[in-house]
Amino acid sequence: MIRTYRALLVAQLQAASQYRVQVLLWMLFSVIRPVIFLAAWVAVANAQGGQIGTYDVRDFAAYYICLSLVSCLTASWNAYEFEYEVRFGRLSPKLLRPLHPIHYAVVENLVAKLTQIVPLSIVLVFISITFDARFRTTPAHVLLFVPSVMLAAALSFLSGWVLATTAFWTTRVHSVSTFWDRAAFIFAGQIAPLALLPGPLQAISLALPFGYVLGVPAEILRGGVSPSTALLLMAGQAIWLAIFFVAFQRVWRAGVRQYSGVGA
Amino acid sequence: MTRYLRLLRLFFRAELQYELEYRLNFVLEIVETAVVTATSVGAVLILFSYTTVLNGWDLGAMLVLLGCFYLVQGFGEFALQPSFEKFLENVRLGTLDFALLKPASPQFQVTLRYFRVAQLAQMALGAVVVAVGLSRIPAIGLAEAIGFPIALICGFVLIYALLVALSTFAFWFVRVDNLMALYWSFMDAGRFPVDVYPGWLRLTLSSAVPIGIAVTVPAQVIAGRLDPFGLLLLVVGSAVAFVLASSFWRLGLRSYTGASA
Repeated sequence: MIRTYRALLVAQLQAASQYRVQVLLWMLFSVIRPVIFLAAWVAVANAQGGQIGTYDVRDFAAYYICLSLVSCLTASWNAYEFEYEVRFGRLSPKLLRPLHPIHYAVVENLVAKLTQIVPLSIVLVFISITFDARFRTTPAHVLLFVPSVMLAAALSFLSGWVLATTAFWTTRVHSVSTFWDRAAFIFAGQIAPLALLPGPLQAISLALPFGYVLGVPAEILRGGVSPSTALLLMAGQAIWLAIFFVAFQRVWRAGVRQYSGVGA
Repeated sequence: MTRYLRLLRLFFRAELQYELEYRLNFVLEIVETAVVTATSVGAVLILFSYTTVLNGWDLGAMLVLLGCFYLVQGFGEFALQPSFEKFLENVRLGTLDFALLKPASPQFQVTLRYFRVAQLAQMALGAVVVAVGLSRIPAIGLAEAIGFPIALICGFVLIYALLVALSTFAFWFVRVDNLMALYWSFMDAGRFPVDVYPGWLRLTLSSAVPIGIAVTVPAQVIAGRLDPFGLLLLVVGSAVAFVLASSFWRLGLRSYTGASA
């Protein structure tokens, strides 16, 4: 398995080196939206004398910079490609290979993140200077962040695959993923840090999977939650990961049985 | 001129007929748009649960701005994006020849040929959000009522001109979809007034990618912050942008070498 992965990794790295501009572009996608909402919250905080709840302007900056990093590290985009693979029958050759198609996607996903992380860090340093970010991160937070962001990446990847496999039954994956993305827009911590979601929205966000992908690891990296709270939140991540793991196995098995390639 | 209007109507009808072939898709696209708009309004409401003004914009003005954002973005996705996508593909495949052979302005035929009719729903929802925002603003004078459509149309022209200029690079570099994708993603920044952004970003959003201008100025006009000089500047600016972009496009067209030329 390790040898297979190494071979796939090399092949993907070579492929990725052919699309350097694409790498920069996708990197910018994970920066643009956090910066937009950062600017808005800074304006709101300034209108209220510089402080909203426990966040001041510099805390918002730190939060959204962490969010941007996390959204790059947890990105998954299979839902968008899978529909085409099913519709055009391109999945068939992949199903014939001895390796489960998900492994190709895993490697592709890892390589994309590896190539983006360096240019992204440069942009984020620049943004944190512009907005004068203040991080409350301690070494304990960094130690907790590493497993937390890995859980988040796995959760985002697996939930993306569960969404993608709906392509076996319907060709409207685009609509499904739009609704999913919009729920994430509200509940993942993009429009506001989870702690600032008003009233019941905050409780709902903690019950749904979205926040565990973006908001939770970002808050841990910023040092916005105590280590014991962080552990509790990571338990939430693990539970959702387990749920999606089971769901993926069920859905995939049922879906492949349903699938009939073009010409079959 | 009337000939071109007739052509436009023809193009539009053909596209509408095409889309109505896929009714479920059509309906789903409208539902998606409604969900996107509703969640965006939700985001603004969450921000305003902590404040009453954002950089001098109160909730009413902010909703007007968000409505303008969806009007402009909806216009882009309804009238521009489909044609420009096809245009890039045609340059790559060499099938642009077919458009060049027809007896009408090539730029017109290429850039206003396709429509995504379902996206009219996005513009309609934008108009609804503008109306809701306006209901919170005490009174609208005659000047504002006249200035608003002018500013909005200038915004459309500005967006169109920039897309024409960007897509022209396809004549030399062929693959410019990345550039276009970048442009559409910058569009997202228009949902807030351009003055909330820090210096370098504001500069980008008002000059290089004038989405900030195209959305913010119409909203300013209707929300009663009419600045006659600013409006005049927008009218002149978008006219100049249109002329420059068109001549750049014609220059680029000269470098186009069909499929097997």
